[in-house]
Amino acid sequence: MAEIKLRQVRHSYLRDHRKEEDWALKELNAVWQDGTAYALLGPSGCGKTTLLNIISGLITPTEGRVLFDDRDVTDTPTGERHIAQVFQFPVVYDTMTVYDNLAFPLRNRGMDSARVSARVGEISRMLDLDSMLSQKAYGLTADGKQKISLGRGLVREDVNIIMFDEPLTVIDPHLKWQLRSKLKELHQRVGVTMIYVTHDQTEALTFADQVVVIYEGTVVQVGTPVELFEKPQHTFVGHFIGSPGMNLLPCSAADGATVFSGIPVQTTNAHKFKTNGRRMELGIRPEFIRFDNSGFEVEIVKVDDLGRYQLVETRRAENTIKMILAEGTSIPAERPRIAFDPKHTWLYADGWAVS
Amino acid sequence: MKNAKLLVTLLYILFLMLPIYWLLNMSFKTTNEILGTFSLWPMNFTLDNYIKIFTDPTWYNGYLNSITYVVINTVISVTVALPAAYAFSRYRFLGDKHLFFWLLTNRMAPPAVFALPFFQLYSATGLFDTHIAVALAHCLFNIPLAVWILEGFMSGVPKELDETAYLDGYSFWRFFVKIFIPTIAAGIGVAAFFCFMYSWVELLLAKTLTSVAAKPIAATMTRTASTAGYELGLLAAAGALTIIPGAFVIYFVRNYIAKGFALGRV
Repeated sequence: MAEIKLRQVRHSYLRDHRKEEDWALKELNAVWQDGTAYALLGPSGCGKTTLLNIISGLITPTEGRVLFDDRDVTDTPTGERHIAQVFQFPVVYDTMTVYDNLAFPLRNRGMDSARVSARVGEISRMLDLDSMLSQKAYGLTADGKQKISLGRGLVREDVNIIMFDEPLTVIDPHLKWQLRSKLKELHQRVGVTMIYVTHDQTEALTFADQVVVIYEGTVVQVGTPVELFEKPQHTFVGHFIGSPGMNLLPCSAADGATVFSGIPVQTTNAHKFKTNGRRMELGIRPEFIRFDNSGFEVEIVKVDDLGRYQLVETRRAENTIKMILAEGTSIPAERPRIAFDPKHTWLYADGWAVS
Repeated sequence: MKNAKLLVTLLYILFLMLPIYWLLNMSFKTTNEILGTFSLWPMNFTLDNYIKIFTDPTWYNGYLNSITYVVINTVISVTVALPAAYAFSRYRFLGDKHLFFWLLTNRMAPPAVFALPFFQLYSATGLFDTHIAVALAHCLFNIPLAVWILEGFMSGVPKELDETAYLDGYSFWRFFVKIFIPTIAAGIGVAAFFCFMYSWVELLLAKTLTSVAAKPIAATMTRTASTAGYELGLLAAAGALTIIPGAFVIYFVRNYIAKGFALGRV
């Protein structure tokens, strides 16, 4: 168990990395607190796996240092960092039995066989692998193999951190739920630091205490699921998280006043805005818009009744504004007017929340 | 319908096996019978041809010589190709693709091209007429082939396997020997088979680089006449025996070869 710090870490896979876009992972300072469950969320190819591999030592960062409890481990080999990592696709030693596969990390650290078998028993029970312990790993289904990979990640108790790199991609949806809640349960019981990489927001939000959102090699926000929802610090967080995502509307801003399509709009953060002339956007989640006669006029494009709520798509000028209304809310038939909740309306300059 | 299928299959097999049958047929005949009459099976069944091969050193040493240099060659080729193929499959380095393709170019020239330089070089360094000379000469063709085959099998193994082993605390060499080699055992089998096959059937270099001490069986077989006149029965027996090692080896790797074809590398 350790607190892991990344100090000014950057990584590029290219030898020549003068340009900003040559960096797979842009400069990053981060602290992974001991015992917390993190989720790394971002689209494919945004640098999530690079970040994991830097922590585990499979990649040495081009620049910056990695610290475990203030001890510099940047040049320490992977094996000595005491890390467990589960990859996206199953990695099993085909030539060994399931039992030997699970026992492998323990035996390698010189654990005596009685304790190995106790520990393997515990993990195999948790993952329902009991019935196949004596089988060869060769020829198992992808599900089965991935469970073994997971088991191997979880079997050691003395690891600093367990990292999951989209571990449930190959597992079918029904089992996915089950395994995810087992991981969560295990985290609560053992309290080891976990980092869970995913591009699925539901997975991230249900698993993690803290979600780290990465976009194009930059960490755009770190926060609890609620913070990401209520206070997105970047337009990417706004539209990536939530279903549907945040409405982003072009606007202009000057001297603390924000104007969208000729209408002044109240926001939580516009008063902090100093300069002018950059790409300005207004962000509001569909959940925080309501019909209000004191608001501005829109045109209703369509209404989807999704059971628990209604999704209303409206338009003003060129801009589509989506709103979510509770089941049974009546929708005005003529000259509908809507209003934004000022507490949840954000002003973004070049993608970043104004602060 | 079913019978027709069976018939076609049988005819096909018959057609394929005919030369081999004829070879066996001849090997149990005397040379006089071969030259004098046409018979579908041996009239005077004899094992003399085989007895001669197993008792006469000029014959059985041919087999021993061939097997010796083939085994040396296979061991060298696979041992050298393993790390090379690993590098090609796991690392990106300057010119890796060109180098990989360049390996193939060694196979673009007929062995005869190399016969003279090899002969001269080996004579100068005192390697002429030794087993290692032939084994090394065949490496020129077999190492590139083995690298190609092994690279295909290795690239089929995700690099996460390597990474997991490092996470589990294995050093590179321990991982390579204990985990990686067993994982690609099929590929090693296929590569070894192709090295064996090439080296076993190759005649020109083997014949050029040897005279007495390391003379391969195939070279012995090119000697059709001796002081005793034509020895066709003897040659047929030698031919029949020469097929056996190949048939034996292919029996063991037949499933792996199918896998190799599936990977597109054989």
